[in-house]
Amino acid sequence: MTAIHDFLTRAFYKCGSLVLFVLLWQLACSTGLAPETFVASPAVIVKTLWIYLWDGSLYKHSVISLSRAFTGFALATLVGVPLGFLLGGWFKSFERIIGPLLYFLAQFNPFALFSVFLLLFGIGEFSKVAMIFWVSIWPVLYNASLGIRSVDPAQVKVARSLGSSKFTLLWKIVIPSSAAYLFAGLRLSAGTAFFMLIPAEMMGASRGLGWLIINAQVNYLIPRLYAGTLVIVIFGFLIDYLFRFLEWRLVGWKRPEAALS
Amino acid sequence: MRAVKGFLGRHAIVIALLCLWELSSRLNWTDSSYLPPPSVVAETVFEMWNRVNLFMHLMVSLFRVLASLLLASALGILSARLLSGLLKGAYPWLESLFKVSALVNPYCLFPLFIVFFGPGEYAKIAVLSWVSFWPVFFNSYTAFKNVDPLLVKTARSMGASGASIFFQVTLPQSLPSVFNGIRVGVQMAFFILIAAEMTGAVAGLGWIVHSAGALNQVDRIYGAGLLIVLSGFFLNRFLNYLDRGLFFWKETDTPPNAADALERPVKPLSALKLSFIGFAVFLVMALGVYQLYRAEIMLNDPSVVPEYRIWTE
Repeated sequence: MTAIHDFLTRAFYKCGSLVLFVLLWQLACSTGLAPETFVASPAVIVKTLWIYLWDGSLYKHSVISLSRAFTGFALATLVGVPLGFLLGGWFKSFERIIGPLLYFLAQFNPFALFSVFLLLFGIGEFSKVAMIFWVSIWPVLYNASLGIRSVDPAQVKVARSLGSSKFTLLWKIVIPSSAAYLFAGLRLSAGTAFFMLIPAEMMGASRGLGWLIINAQVNYLIPRLYAGTLVIVIFGFLIDYLFRFLEWRLVGWKRPEAALS
Repeated sequence: MRAVKGFLGRHAIVIALLCLWELSSRLNWTDSSYLPPPSVVAETVFEMWNRVNLFMHLMVSLFRVLASLLLASALGILSARLLSGLLKGAYPWLESLFKVSALVNPYCLFPLFIVFFGPGEYAKIAVLSWVSFWPVFFNSYTAFKNVDPLLVKTARSMGASGASIFFQVTLPQSLPSVFNGIRVGVQMAFFILIAAEMTGAVAGLGWIVHSAGALNQVDRIYGAGLLIVLSGFFLNRFLNYLDRGLFFWKETDTPPNAADALERPVKPLSALKLSFIGFAVFLVMALGVYQLYRAEIMLNDPSVVPEYRIWTE
């Protein structure tokens, strides 16, 4: 009995406000308090989503959007992690020279670059991926260099004096001790990549979730506008959750002192 | 002289890259119609200042950021205060709603806000405030929660009222954290401002880039892009300066992001400087309102084609 009671209490605290919010929203729409021309009721949104789910358009747009975000993110990881390791660890003087440039570039507003990317790369897939790459490389790069700086030099010395090879040093000492930072950086990057995907698609695309929304706005398809927003919220939540879960499973034993939230 | 030398030394790579860019355009290694040399870009900025009324666009953008920032920090601090004090019991219950709301991609919200507020100024300020509200709120809430209970108890046992406990104990102790929230909020707001201005605006820096792109004026794309980058950079610098000056007593730990990784000497801000900064903020707000009004008049002028409007000043 108490178990059920506990579960209900926890469920109430976990999502009671969300459920109440949705109920109030539905109520406002059904009673006509919220004008139908501006606000789609939750029931209508679910119905719209249901239709999109079965005619395959939801699948099509999600796949194209996710693949864009993933490509940008994967490229950023492939470039950012090694570069961050190099900057933070092996080449201290290299860091002193190139660091200011990178810190300056990290502050670039990506929208200022968007037109330039369009100019240089055309309006195809590449400019969108380039933009996502551009914004998602900085967290990963910075955290990788922080991570490598957090490696305990005593451990490195011990491993060296025990005669470990460079590869063992990297695999057994450097990567595990900087893993917490790396994962924090990867989570931030993945979030940023998905975050940036939407405006990139809004500004020039013919498919994808961002396009779905901007097209709904232009054509004043209110239920579709809300449905698209909901899908993006769900994907954003899932991506964040996935990375938090991975972080907890893989590096839960080591909490970074200054992990970025 | 030493300062100049130090600056040159630290930014050697930036300068070298700029020289390389200039050379590659001048020597026709790259197509200068796609990649104009930096000297041409700088010239374009000057030209825009004279002909396009750049000042107006800059002021309008700054005004939008500042107005939404003031709104968001007032609301954020107030609601954090309420939820950590008067409505203490409500927060655990509301948390999921807040977390989901903060997670919503602001670009998705932009069309929704336009539907609600119309395509005018209110939608933009609402989106920017929404974006910067969450960091301010979460940071202030955690800071208010984590105030040393011993200090609060001591103040209470000495007979301090609720308001004076808040203003003399809680707030001073949590201000650095609140300011951090504000800083993240400003950065996010500036980020999104440009996108908002690109998708439909009367004036502003984002609008210049968008319009230059629509007219295929390559020099101006680069010039306006440079301006956006520089204003973001200086905004960051300014906030950093303010942070260090206001909270000089705070121990510095690992900087929260790459932009703040540059170390700078810490010294307290004098009252004179602070009042000057306050006055500057007020001035920007006042000028921004006026310039916005001018931009609205220009928008409603039927004799000017919208896309060409900003170029014909």
